[in-house]
Amino acid sequence: MRKMLSMIVAMIVASLLSAAPFSALAQVDILACEPEWAALAQEIGGPKVSSFSATHARQDPHHIRARPSLIAKARRADLIICSGAGLEVGWLPILLQKSGPQVQPNALGNLTASHYVPLLDTGAGVDRSMGDVHPEGNPHIHLNPHHMLPIAAQLTDRLSQLDSANAAYYQSRLQDFTLRWQQALQAWEAKAAPLKGVQVVVHHKSFSYLVDWLKMRPVASLEPKPGIPPTTSHLEGLLQQLNAAPAQLILRTPYEPEAASLWLSSKTNIPALVLPYTIDGVSDTGDLFALFERTLSLLLETVHAE
Amino acid sequence: MLKMKTAASAALIAVLSASPTLAADEDLNALRNEVEKMRQAYEQRINQLEAKLNKLEGSQKQVGEAASTPPATSRRRIADNSFNPSIGMILNGQYRQFSEGENEFAGFAVSHEGERGEEGLGIGHSEISLSANVDDKFYASSTVAIVEHAGTTETELEEVYIQTLPGAGLPVGMSVKAGRAFWTLGYLNEHHSHADDFADRPLPYRVFMNHAFNDDGVQVSYLLPTEIYSEIGGGIYRGDDFPYGGSRGSGTGAWSAFARIGGDIGDNQSWRAGAYVLSGEAETSRLSNDDSVDFTGDSDLQILDLRYVWAPTGNARDREVIVQAEYFQREEDGLYTVFDPNSGNPIATGAVDKKSDDGWYVQGVYKFSPQWRVGARYSQLMSDTTPAILLNTVLDDQGHDPEALSFMVDWTNSEFSRVRFQLNREELSSGVTDEQAILQYVMSIGAHGAHKY
Repeated sequence: MRKMLSMIVAMIVASLLSAAPFSALAQVDILACEPEWAALAQEIGGPKVSSFSATHARQDPHHIRARPSLIAKARRADLIICSGAGLEVGWLPILLQKSGPQVQPNALGNLTASHYVPLLDTGAGVDRSMGDVHPEGNPHIHLNPHHMLPIAAQLTDRLSQLDSANAAYYQSRLQDFTLRWQQALQAWEAKAAPLKGVQVVVHHKSFSYLVDWLKMRPVASLEPKPGIPPTTSHLEGLLQQLNAAPAQLILRTPYEPEAASLWLSSKTNIPALVLPYTIDGVSDTGDLFALFERTLSLLLETVHAE
Repeated sequence: MLKMKTAASAALIAVLSASPTLAADEDLNALRNEVEKMRQAYEQRINQLEAKLNKLEGSQKQVGEAASTPPATSRRRIADNSFNPSIGMILNGQYRQFSEGENEFAGFAVSHEGERGEEGLGIGHSEISLSANVDDKFYASSTVAIVEHAGTTETELEEVYIQTLPGAGLPVGMSVKAGRAFWTLGYLNEHHSHADDFADRPLPYRVFMNHAFNDDGVQVSYLLPTEIYSEIGGGIYRGDDFPYGGSRGSGTGAWSAFARIGGDIGDNQSWRAGAYVLSGEAETSRLSNDDSVDFTGDSDLQILDLRYVWAPTGNARDREVIVQAEYFQREEDGLYTVFDPNSGNPIATGAVDKKSDDGWYVQGVYKFSPQWRVGARYSQLMSDTTPAILLNTVLDDQGHDPEALSFMVDWTNSEFSRVRFQLNREELSSGVTDEQAILQYVMSIGAHGAHKY
């Protein structure tokens, strides 16, 4: 008994010793649920914030474990920024359970990005027999670049209140980001004109916003229902459908398994393409600008090659 | 608004052009150009707005075509429901087949929940849970299990507790839980058994905690503000649930303390380790082995646990390895009485002094595709020397250490449904090898809480 108690005490002492020295908001501590929001926080906050992403590009953000490290990160966070719309429902509540009141839902330090942009796939009554659907709407909002601006403005607003000494700094970075983003948007939209009307097969509804923005046409999904892995019979059905009415691209994210998309590609000769989906999803996608640049160039190269 | 302005500027143009004598031609031309520019700008904006409106109407149409819009009343009803608690139900059915008629633990006092379960088809534990935030400071949750036992349907209050919310004004990271709950003790105790990776609990849980420790009590936990995860806590309990019993209700029957640390190794591996103490007294009587064994005295439990999770491809959805191990050490000081199961007369009474029993298990689960997992588990118990007076009773280990080996394969259709097949090979007493086959389904409807690590 004494042995165990002294062990417990030793563990407490060890963890306290490993604690970083306390310092008052030297940097605003930001926990982002997904890499794209960590990148946005870096655009607006620069060196005044430290941002950490709970997930990386090869992880399916629906299925993350509430790991001990994330619980510790959330407890220390000044601001948590997440997509919302049910994407993190399986793990974020556990992280929030033991974190401060400042990052609880609806508090200043809890930014749910999907609250500030129009959502796709909303409304219709849902039931779990329809698969892993989000009644709130499709949560993969970051792939429509128009969405970045209202979310960036919201983030700036929160940062300015949390760290009021640097409010002017955040505002000026937002202005700079907005200007650069608007210029980039114009260039991307001009460049993407040939993608309009291109028929695509997707793995999951992860690319709905990208497809919507580029006015491409989603004709099929490899998952028979959202969240249910592809089945042989469903793929056979897709094969027949695509033989009758071919599509031009099969898209998937870096975290979605390749087997189904490669199989369908080999049977139909439709190219299967891995798009970055988020920061560092493929090479040269280190920030938000590069993410969209690379996504467009991958799409255009493949469409032109056909 | 825009149209009015356009009309106004058109009128202005008309007025201006109708009275050429009012201003010089140059000024007039300049003004005309200016107004024309304004008109163009407004028209452009009107066109943009119209385009946006068309797009919106189009997308609304699509939604309407895809699924008939639910009537407005049904939406209102959802809003009314938002003040109701979350309701969820777990359905847990099993088919069990055993090779041996009897399978008793040698050398251990084991209560009902620690036994192997009933043979044949059964609905096992069905759980109904209700939970909600009470207000800005408290959260409340209850889980009632409906259990079929020996032909009668029983309800068990598994958990009924309140817990402070982060807005309750306690220091950040601190939380208080009161009521009846699966307290923080080892890895599995906090979890409802439907979330386990195997159809039954490993031997140490069955023997030392009668499946799980959910006494009535209060527990405080505090997440330290450290870089790596570290949490400490402790609680006090009534002392009525196994390994205690017969609480007179005066003072506290038991207390606990724990510490946990954890972290990541690179991007795709994580771990957590903990040490726990549970100490208390069975005040008047702790009955076990179908009421044929009685214990009165002190019982202390020390537990170490370790869990390690690795996603080889980075994506845990796709592939995942989980290794988990726990070690238990129990010390008992008190009086054991063994009764004849048929007549109910005492056969033997013997005091134990620092009787030290151990148990451990290790398990590994491998998810090799998004819906399929396989797992193996080995558990073992080691009992202390039996006091001479208790020899040849159920508490006599006859020199045998109980052990069990399990293999399982499960299929998870979605987050809400799982079907599992498990094979057990249990040698709980000398010379008896019980081979078991278990087929199990676990389904969840309604609210489904987020999963703990």
